[in-house]
Amino acid sequence: MTWWDALVRAGAVPAAYVPPASLGRTDVDEGAEPGADLVEGDKVEVHAVDPAPAPPACFLDGIEQWKVVGYDGVLPIIRAYVAAAVRRRGDDRRPRTAFEAARDFAIAPLAGMAPERRRALTDHCPDVVEISIEEGTQPGRVLELARRAVDSARQTLERDLAERCLARLGDTEWLVVDGLLSVSGKLAGHPRALGVIKSHGAQFFTGADLERALTVAAAHRTSVFRARGGHARNEVYSWYLRLWPWEGNDLLYGLLRIEARAAAATIAAATATSGWLLAERAPIATPDVRWDRLLYPIHDVETYLRARAPRDLLASRASRLPRTGT
Amino acid sequence: MIGRVVATELKPSTPHQFHFWTANETSIGIGAIVRVGQGVGSGDVGSGRTVYGVVTDGFAYSDLATPLHDVIGAEGDPAKAAAAPTVRQEIRYWTAAVLRQIPEEPLQPVPLGHVFVASDIDVAQALRMDGYLHSAAPTAIPIGLYTSGGLEAPVYLDADFLLGPEAAHLNISGVSGLATKTSAVEFLLASMFRHFPAHKGKVAAVCFNVKGPDLCFLDQPGDLSDEDRRRYERLDVPATPFERVHYFAPLKADGVNLNTLRTHPELVDDVTPLTWGLQEVVDYAEVLLNRDDIDAKADAFIDFLRDRVLGKSFDDGFGNSHDVGTFADLERLFRDIFDGLETSGRSDTWRTHHIATMRKVRNRLLNISTRCKGLVTDDGPTSDLPWGAFADRAVYVIDVANVDPLGQDLVFARCVSKLREHLERRDLGVDAVVVFVDELNKYAPGDGPETYVKKMLLDISERGRYLGLVLFGAEQFRSQVHRRVVGNAGTQVFGRMDMDELATPGYQVLSPATKIKLATLPVGELMVRHPHFTQPIFVRFPKPPVLRGRDGMERFPAAVDLPFEDAVARQLVQLDRRVRPNQVKDLIADRTEEDVRRALAAVRQKRPEDALAYFRKQLGGRVAVDAPRERRAVPPLNPITDEPY
Repeated sequence: MTWWDALVRAGAVPAAYVPPASLGRTDVDEGAEPGADLVEGDKVEVHAVDPAPAPPACFLDGIEQWKVVGYDGVLPIIRAYVAAAVRRRGDDRRPRTAFEAARDFAIAPLAGMAPERRRALTDHCPDVVEISIEEGTQPGRVLELARRAVDSARQTLERDLAERCLARLGDTEWLVVDGLLSVSGKLAGHPRALGVIKSHGAQFFTGADLERALTVAAAHRTSVFRARGGHARNEVYSWYLRLWPWEGNDLLYGLLRIEARAAAATIAAATATSGWLLAERAPIATPDVRWDRLLYPIHDVETYLRARAPRDLLASRASRLPRTGT
Repeated sequence: MIGRVVATELKPSTPHQFHFWTANETSIGIGAIVRVGQGVGSGDVGSGRTVYGVVTDGFAYSDLATPLHDVIGAEGDPAKAAAAPTVRQEIRYWTAAVLRQIPEEPLQPVPLGHVFVASDIDVAQALRMDGYLHSAAPTAIPIGLYTSGGLEAPVYLDADFLLGPEAAHLNISGVSGLATKTSAVEFLLASMFRHFPAHKGKVAAVCFNVKGPDLCFLDQPGDLSDEDRRRYERLDVPATPFERVHYFAPLKADGVNLNTLRTHPELVDDVTPLTWGLQEVVDYAEVLLNRDDIDAKADAFIDFLRDRVLGKSFDDGFGNSHDVGTFADLERLFRDIFDGLETSGRSDTWRTHHIATMRKVRNRLLNISTRCKGLVTDDGPTSDLPWGAFADRAVYVIDVANVDPLGQDLVFARCVSKLREHLERRDLGVDAVVVFVDELNKYAPGDGPETYVKKMLLDISERGRYLGLVLFGAEQFRSQVHRRVVGNAGTQVFGRMDMDELATPGYQVLSPATKIKLATLPVGELMVRHPHFTQPIFVRFPKPPVLRGRDGMERFPAAVDLPFEDAVARQLVQLDRRVRPNQVKDLIADRTEEDVRRALAAVRQKRPEDALAYFRKQLGGRVAVDAPRERRAVPPLNPITDEPY
C-alpha cells in the first residue's frame, strides 16, 4: 500500500492534480537586485568565437515532478520526485551515466492536518517535508510553498551530485551544469566547472551595456563580468554567448549565460571555453522547444532522468471529466 | 540478456508479435531466435510465461525530429555533422514474430520482460522440435544449423512431416547458379539416410538429373573445409559421399555410347544403360503422342493392342500368328494385317478398327523408337531400374540431361508410375522413395498445357504421402509452379531469391526485412518453413560431401564417343574382364549394327558368365551373301538408230 493510499484510508480526499507549476524547474531570480562588475575591459564588448573541439566533459542536470495526491480539508498533500544525474561523454562521444540520485517524498502542511491523517502520512511515508503555514492559508499559497520545497530539494540533489562528481573529475575533464554555478561554493571555485543558464530572468546590465549584451551576434560572446546580487550566493564570473542568430526570432533566442570560477584564468580562457560550448550546438537538442539554448548533452541527461521518473506523476492525458457508472 | 520488450499504444504486444530494443552493438539480426524471460520487469508479474520469437524486422532511429535539424546543426556541411561532440541517442528496435508460448493456453499478449538469445534448448522448444527430437521414437532429421550471435543450434525436420504420412514433400526455390538448391537436396538426402528412423523402414531416393553434370558424381568425395566438417559433426551426418549410388542413362542414337556426362573411363562402369522396348513404352503412349494423335478411336485401338496383342500369341485373322514383343514384331503385325486386307479385298475395317485409325497408330507408335532412339529400341532386350529390388539408403540417379524433352517426359512418367505401382503393392524393396525433380518451372508450370508429367507430379503431391512416394522439387520461380504442387509440399525451403519473385503475392506474409535477407542470402544458407515451425527459420547447411557437377567434370572429364566397334568391345569388357577387344572387333566385322546392338543388349540383360560366347551365340552364324546373278541383256526389238523420231 502506498502512503497516499494510507492517507485516503485515513479520510483524505483522493486527488490527481498536476499543477502547471510542477511541469518543470524554474530559474526564477528571487535574490537581491542583480548587478555586474566588468572584469574584462571597461565596457561590455563583443568578441568573436570560433567553434573548437570539446574537451572531455561531464554534464549535470536535474528534474522535478510533483502532484497533489490528496486533500485534508482544503490542504493539498503533495507527492514530489526530484532526480539528478551526471552523464560522462566517453571517447566514443556517447554519454553514459556516471552519477545519479533521486528522491521520492511527500510535502504536507503537517501542523494544519487532522491528527489521524498526519499520523497516516508520517507512519507510511519515510520522507516527508513539512511546510509551515499559518491558520487559514489558502490552498494556492500551499502549492506555491510546495513548489519552492521541490525546487530546493532538486537543487540540493544537484549540488550534492555535482560535488561528488567534482571529487572524481579527471585532470582535463570539465563539469557542465545546467543552471547556476554559484549555488555551490565547491562548484563556484572549481577551475573546470561551468554553469550554463538558459533563462534570463535576472538582468545584470542596464542601458547601452544591456543592449550590447542582449544583442550579441551569433558565435560571439560578451566581456566577462562578476555577477552580483540575484541568486549569486558564491562569487562567479559570467558572460553571455550567442549560439544562434536571434534576428527574426527574439532577443533571447540562442542566448546563454555562462558561469565560471571567479579567477583571472577564466577571463583568459573565456573565448576558448566559448568556442567548445559553441561547438555543442550540434547535434541540435530537438524536439525540446528550448533547443536554441539547450545543449544536447544536457538534453540527454534530462531525457535520461525523465525516462526513469515515475510515470504516475505525469499529467494524465485522459479526460478529467467525472467518471460515470460507479 | 540482450534486450527488453517494449509495448506502446501504437505498437502493442500481441499474442503473435512483440517489439524489443537492444544495445546498438548486438549480435542478433533478422532471423534470430529470442526468448522473452519470465518474471522480470513490470507487466509480466505472475505471468509465468515464456515466449519464443524470431526477429522479422529491425529499425534504427535517433531522437532527431526531422532531417532538417541535422542539416542546421551541421550548418549544411556533412563533415561537421560527423564531428559533432556528442553522438545522438539512437535505438535498435526489433520486431519479432511469436514462435511459441509456454503455456500455450490461454493465448495471451507477450508480456513485458527481458529478451535473451535463444540457447540450443530454447531453439528446440521454440520450433516445437522437442516433441519429435526427444520422443520414444525420434523422427528428427537435421536440415542445418541455426546460427546467431555465436550460437549454433541444429534444426531438425520431422520425418513424419517430411516423408509422410502426416505431411510430406519438400519444395526448394532459389535463383540458379548459387549452389543452393541441388546442394541442399544432396545434404538433406545424406542427413535423411543417416537419421531416417529405423521404425519407419527403408528409404531410397530417385534423382532425375535434368541438367548438366549436377548429380553425376554423388559417389565421389568433394572438397570440404574444416568448418564444413565441424558442421557435419555437429549435425551427426557423415561427411562422406553416398555409399550406394546407381546410375542409369539412355544410350545415344548409335545404341552403344551412353548419353550421359559420366563417361570417364574410371566411372562409366557404374552406369547402367536405360533401354526400353515396346512393352515398357506402350503404357505411356499418352506421354509420347499429342492430343491430336490420341482421339477416342486411336485410344481404343491402342488399348486393343495392349490388352489383346502385346506379349501374347495372336492370330491376325489372315492365317498368321504373331508374338508381339518388340517394335519390329509390331511392324510385322501391321504389315500382315494391311497385306491381308488388301489381298482379301475385304472392307476397310479390321476387328472393328478402321484402317485409317490403324495406319495412324502404326505411324505414331513406330515413330517413337525413332524419336527416342537410344532410349527406346526397335528390337531386342531392354534394361531397366531394379524394380522390386530397391536397396535401403540407395540413390538411383537417372540421367536424362542430354535426352530430348520427349524422352525426358517418357522416362519421368514411366519411372514415377512404376514407383507408384510398386509402392502400392509394397514390393519395391523400400518403404519410402524420395523423388528429386529439378526445374519444376518446366515440368509443372502454373500455366500451360496439362501434360502427363504435370499430372504425375500433381498425383505424387496429392496422394504420394500415403504411399511413401515423396517429391523433393526444385525450381527458380516458385510463383510459376503449379499451386497444388508447391502447396502440398509440407516443407518449403528458400535459397537466395530474385526480388521480382519476392514481389509476387506468395511472399506477402514475409516482412520486408525478411525479403531483403532472402534476396541477399549467402551460399549455404536457407530459409525453412516446416509444419512444426510457426515462422520461417534461417539455417546454414554444410557443403554437400559429394563432388559438385562442375568440379566432377574437371576431375573426371567425359570421354569422347567411341567408334561403334570400340564401344561394343568396351561394354563387353565391362561385363566380362576376360574379353579381349580384338576378339570382339573380329566377331562383329561385317555384321550389321542392328544385329550387333541386339546381341549386345541380350548380353547386358542376361549377364552370362562367358559374355563373349553368349554374344557370339546371339549374333548367330554369318550368312554368306549371294553374288548377284548376272542378267542377260535382251536386245531391243528395233535397234536404236540415229533417227530422232
